[in-house]
Amino acid sequence: MHTSIRIVALALAASWAAPAAATVNVVTTTEGLAAVVREIGGDRVKVTALSRGIQDPHFVDANPSLAVKLRNADLLVDVGLELEVGWLPPLVTQSRNGAIQPGGPRRLTAASAITPLDVPTGPVDRSQGDIHPSGNPHFLTDPRRVLQVAAALAARLSALDPDGAPYYRERLASFQARVAAAEKGWREKLAPFQGRSVVTQHRTLTYLLDWAGLRAAGFLEPRPGVAPPPSHVASLAGIVKAAGVKGVLVEAFYDRRSADQLHDLSGVKVIVIPGDVGGTRDASDWFAYVDVLVRSLVQAVQ
Amino acid sequence: MVNIAVLSLLAAQVAGGGVPGPVATPAAGAPDGRRQMEQRVKQDLGAQAQPFPEGALNLGTPGAIPVGKLLLLPEIAVIVDGALGYTTLSTGQQEPVAEPLPQHKAWPVLQEVEVALQATVDPYVRGDVFLTFGAEGVAVEEAFLTTLSLPAGLQVKAGKIYAPFGRTSQLHRHQWTFVDQPVSMQRLVGIDGLGGAGADVAWLAPLPWFAELHVAYQATAPGPTGELLATGVARLIQYLELSDEATLGVGLSWAAFLPDLPGQWRNLAGADVYLKVRDPASRSWVVLQGELYGRQLDGETFAEARWGGYAQAAWRIDRNWEVGVRYDAAPAPVAYAGGTQQDVGALATWLPSEFLRLRLQPSLVLLPQGESGFQGLLTFEFVLGAHGAHPF
Repeated sequence: MHTSIRIVALALAASWAAPAAATVNVVTTTEGLAAVVREIGGDRVKVTALSRGIQDPHFVDANPSLAVKLRNADLLVDVGLELEVGWLPPLVTQSRNGAIQPGGPRRLTAASAITPLDVPTGPVDRSQGDIHPSGNPHFLTDPRRVLQVAAALAARLSALDPDGAPYYRERLASFQARVAAAEKGWREKLAPFQGRSVVTQHRTLTYLLDWAGLRAAGFLEPRPGVAPPPSHVASLAGIVKAAGVKGVLVEAFYDRRSADQLHDLSGVKVIVIPGDVGGTRDASDWFAYVDVLVRSLVQAVQ
Repeated sequence: MVNIAVLSLLAAQVAGGGVPGPVATPAAGAPDGRRQMEQRVKQDLGAQAQPFPEGALNLGTPGAIPVGKLLLLPEIAVIVDGALGYTTLSTGQQEPVAEPLPQHKAWPVLQEVEVALQATVDPYVRGDVFLTFGAEGVAVEEAFLTTLSLPAGLQVKAGKIYAPFGRTSQLHRHQWTFVDQPVSMQRLVGIDGLGGAGADVAWLAPLPWFAELHVAYQATAPGPTGELLATGVARLIQYLELSDEATLGVGLSWAAFLPDLPGQWRNLAGADVYLKVRDPASRSWVVLQGELYGRQLDGETFAEARWGGYAQAAWRIDRNWEVGVRYDAAPAPVAYAGGTQQDVGALATWLPSEFLRLRLQPSLVLLPQGESGFQGLLTFEFVLGAHGAHPF
């Protein structure tokens, strides 16, 4: 009897004192962020994304079921720059997890690690569309910025899980090396097309184009979040012809009818791209995602 | 930087309030050592060692409105609702309702201006204030604090709040799918919903799905009278993810009143069902929703209780269009003692942008004794300022 009690007590003590088995429960708002967390956290983390790559991240439902996933989050990684403003704040409040409130030690807003582009410089109002007043939140397509996010993530994971710090450092170094190698290949593919222009639906590729040395000749949306009216598509067709633009890139979650109209009017190719990691079947991780984007860019400028 | 994060984490661990489990152990190394340190700090600091929620190290919130945050202003939004209404019903055939219309006149009305002020108060709670300016003057629609990190899945809302009763009765006007609230809710629950000063304690059950139990004590004004009664409310709301595309919400509510006079509200029961089906990749969805209310006045037997409810379907066709239908059965106006009124309404909504909504809602009203009427509402709604969360 005593022996069995002792065994149970020992087993309990062992389970209590076995932090090696503990994993960091990371919740991210997007699949792109989840992919970066997987790169850095490896098997020391369990990652859950609140939205899917096939979704427009501006318009995720504030489904209370998601608050349950946040309740036990050891770390919440969000994009920031008001990308998730329509759905994340009520979920964070509902979660009862005080540590993942904005600015909390278990909250990492990825935007805090990067320098944003498209920051409005003049007066800002909604006549400019559904703008992001603090800058463009679609920065995870840029290899330079993804490395900055990865470094911030490694630092935060190390603070939360000090035993794993060497592991995260090692994973970060490996990720940096693999990004550098991949970047070399991507840049070689893009080298012949420097300075050329494409058209995109929304300002989702600002950072990628900046990194790739390409330009946006225009956007299907006349202003962010505003559906393209016929007059805008018609004037865009003129711009496209004048600038010699060959391709328009549209995320899979957008209605592609306006892009098809632009094709009819100007002959540009319509290329459907994933909106994030997991946005299409071939964009299975961050490298595959950027690979698809680079291939699509090359296709769009040829 | 890492050191600062570790220190702040340690400070949070010392207090031990609301920190999720698994990482707490590796974060401070050996748990026994940490507990000893915690004891020492508690002895040294005494009363200061109260739970200290994380978030104290607030280095700013990238992604929030930058200028407002710099000035420590709360997020401010102003929501304006106006309408053009027409009805063939006399006032006696309409009342009691929240917004009766003059008979046979196209009647413009500024329904409501809502000002929303929202911010965190301190590291422990957030505050939300909603003021409404309408035909009856200025009112505090809600003004409450919400705790952010109580232990054991608890959350307290205190102030003037909507009672945690039912589904549609807790929504602000700009969150309604239809232009008005179902008449069944207005007559059985409360003409403007059920709300008042008090506190709501909500417990999020440690289950894999969302299950929240609310218990509230408030002074509310049920039904059309506006007389305040001491009220106890309980509600269990659950959300089940049926698939990647479908979420089912099921709620049960109960409110018990302490009537001052015979004939006032005694008990109110509510059951609600909500089903949302949405392909995540699309901006289109379908919502089916229904509620049933049962009301027992003081002095009534259970068999004498009045019942009513509504069922509605809404289809968001794309980013710009939504249509819906609603059936509503409610106790008829006073002149038709004991009868039932039925409303059948249709809705067409155009959303030119995230911040503007135009709606047209014709409805047929079937009263007892074979009487009937038609009502039509054409409304607009716009939002200035901060982008609020989309209602689920």
